[in-house]
Amino acid sequence: MSSSVRHKVMKHLEIVKQLQPSLHYETHAPAPDQIDNEHYRAYTRMSHDVGGEPDVPITWEEKEEEVWEHNTFVTCEVLAWRGVWNAEERRRRQNVDVGQTQYLGLPYYGRWLLTAARILVDKQYITVTELSDKIDEVRKRYE
Amino acid sequence: MSKPHYDREHHVKKATGIGDPQCFKGEAGPPKFKVGDKVRVRDLPDIFYSRTQVYTRGAEATVAELVYESPAPEDEAWDNTENVVWFYSLIFKQKDLWPDYPDAFANDTLETELPERWLEPL
Repeated sequence: MSSSVRHKVMKHLEIVKQLQPSLHYETHAPAPDQIDNEHYRAYTRMSHDVGGEPDVPITWEEKEEEVWEHNTFVTCEVLAWRGVWNAEERRRRQNVDVGQTQYLGLPYYGRWLLTAARILVDKQYITVTELSDKIDEVRKRYE
Repeated sequence: MSKPHYDREHHVKKATGIGDPQCFKGEAGPPKFKVGDKVRVRDLPDIFYSRTQVYTRGAEATVAELVYESPAPEDEAWDNTENVVWFYSLIFKQKDLWPDYPDAFANDTLETELPERWLEPL
């Protein structure tokens, strides 16, 4: 058990090394006078506002949505019907609050699912300890 | 400290059976612009949330349609629905948005929707 956890931790650190902030500088804790207005604007840019950012063409693939993706969508809609959030609050959390690294790095419905859990914590329907214990319990079923 | 109270259902009660943004119809007051008007997109501070693309800021556009009334996204994203504004469908020339846009496609346009608070008359 412990050695497999240590293996996962080392693998995690290898991937984390590849993640970078969107602007590459030697320091990641700048003094206030090192951030001018232009850089402040760049750092606080909304991650969903991708217009003008460089990119490359990607292959179009026709793909059916998976069961967990449908379930995630339905969960988020039900949260709206029950008044937990409206569509714009959902989009804010999924597309901007997650930050650029998660916005670009996670699958589309991965962001939906993460955000559905987050809203339940933020509005105090569940606690992080309850959520964490539940994820741990479910994870053990697959070990 | 007690838990904050959220009014969790006022939005869904307002929209049920009507739809959103249809449920805000008639709340924005008289529109500031009409179809065919020339406008410029304001460069307001975008703090925390906005859907006004930065590449449109300062650019000129023509009003193509008054599409609906709704709170601006930056208000609705925190469920603040008291300040309802008109939304306009706007046509930009691609050449105005992207300096390197090829001359061969000088007539290309881009159409997008923005709330009234982001627009000023030309």
